[in-house]
Amino acid sequence: MIISTTAFTWLVGIALVLTTAAPIILLGLLLTDWKKGQLW
Amino acid sequence: MNIVNTAILDPATGWLILAIFSALWIALGWYFGRNSLQLDDYVLAGRRVGLALGTATIMATWVTSNTTMAAPQLALQMGVWGMIGYSLGSVGLLMFAPLARRIRRLMPSGYTSGDFIRLRYGTSAWRVFLLISLFYSLGWLVSMGMAGGILIHALTGIPYHYGMTVILSICVGYTLLGGLRAVIGTDFIQALLILSGAVIIAVLAIRQIGLDTIHASVLADRPELLNLLMPASIMFLFNNLLFGVGEIFHSNVWWSRAFAFREGVGFKACVLAGLLWAPIPIVAGFIALATPALGLNVPAADMVGPMIAAQILGTTGAILVLVMVFAALSSSLDSLLAATSILVVEDIYRRHLKHDATAVEMRKATACIIVGLGMLTWILCAPRLTTLAELLYFTGAFVASTIWPIAAGLFWQRANAAGAIAGMTVGSAAGLYSYFAVGFYVAALVGAAVSMTLVITASFLNPARFDFGDLQERHPGEAVPGPGGGSA
Repeated sequence: MIISTTAFTWLVGIALVLTTAAPIILLGLLLTDWKKGQLW
Repeated sequence: MNIVNTAILDPATGWLILAIFSALWIALGWYFGRNSLQLDDYVLAGRRVGLALGTATIMATWVTSNTTMAAPQLALQMGVWGMIGYSLGSVGLLMFAPLARRIRRLMPSGYTSGDFIRLRYGTSAWRVFLLISLFYSLGWLVSMGMAGGILIHALTGIPYHYGMTVILSICVGYTLLGGLRAVIGTDFIQALLILSGAVIIAVLAIRQIGLDTIHASVLADRPELLNLLMPASIMFLFNNLLFGVGEIFHSNVWWSRAFAFREGVGFKACVLAGLLWAPIPIVAGFIALATPALGLNVPAADMVGPMIAAQILGTTGAILVLVMVFAALSSSLDSLLAATSILVVEDIYRRHLKHDATAVEMRKATACIIVGLGMLTWILCAPRLTTLAELLYFTGAFVASTIWPIAAGLFWQRANAAGAIAGMTVGSAAGLYSYFAVGFYVAALVGAAVSMTLVITASFLNPARFDFGDLQERHPGEAVPGPGGGSA
């Protein structure tokens, strides 16, 4: 059972979107924690 | 493998990058940890770590050099399932989320995973657990130290001993300066570097080659890599999943995080880190499938990631890979040094050698153990014995056998000491036997299955009536509150 081009593209595409979003999410959380005085 | 021939940067550039990032980690380590004078601040970052730093430190620690280098290798050897199998390492993080919440709730003043096993199952189970945990920690330290030397040599041509010494010295240096605060603070920046590097390389690979072309070339040259029913890959997937769960459930690297997080942060941080970590092996790994499209001849599978990055991006790609690898190595080594040092101090120094040790003495002992662990790792890495690098693979059987004693012990009153001891010893032995008799891909599976059977059977035959309130105990660290309020 060979993975199709479409499925392969979706797999890599979703992974790439999530990995791109990760630093943005982390920085957003950092800002929120910092504003609340809850960094550590 | 002739790794000299695979060097993709010249040593001068390599030394410059190592010098810049070494200075950065040391400076940041000192800055983040400059107020960590009390024991709880030094070993548990004051027990008030927030969601952002908590999520990033979990992600960065779980991204080892293996994730950035072995994910492409697995994609090249096992195809699509190799990448997906590796990304299932995130299941361990997701499953640890409820445990992290419970650990923090049941043991607000706890220090180590050893504390839990001792209080939950007694001294015999605790000593068995310590043997497994210290063996695993040393295996991970040695494999990271050796990976540092080998990868820096492979990427830059810098001799193995120099690269290994640099990575170990830097990690020991900033962990010593700032303790867990230094580790967690630098982990945040290291996570950003790793994520950004992986994304840049992946996007440029897609723009230059295209996913359609990559798929078509693999289909023409090596169609088995796109086969979703490749048996060895499916076995690898399950074994990797259980190995990861075992590593996370038992290791003090993760328990120290659970103790260090602010109340209410542990569960969210583990879930978020698991979700954000899962796609990284796919993003780092799929580029290996561009090998047929680029017409590359890969002399060693474990160098396929850097080779493709260098092919696509030239020197910039090679520098990116070096920065990513250095960040990935540092973020795991520093965590391991910090967590293992407090495990040794709390569970061996204080519980076996100096029962009346004060918080100040334990703080000093932790610093000494960080240096000692660094030196021991260097000594073990120096001969560059490949058998030592493989030590970590053996530990799959051992760590998987701790999954049930830990999970059942945290949530199930009936779980008893006999089941935990039998689960850890017989489970480890069975897993090790299957490692040699069948293969590496079943060791964790067998270890976990045998351990589960023994823990459950023993608990039904002779159920314990454990009072979870017994997990709370006073500690010297509590008597000396830190400047900002000390422990919770």
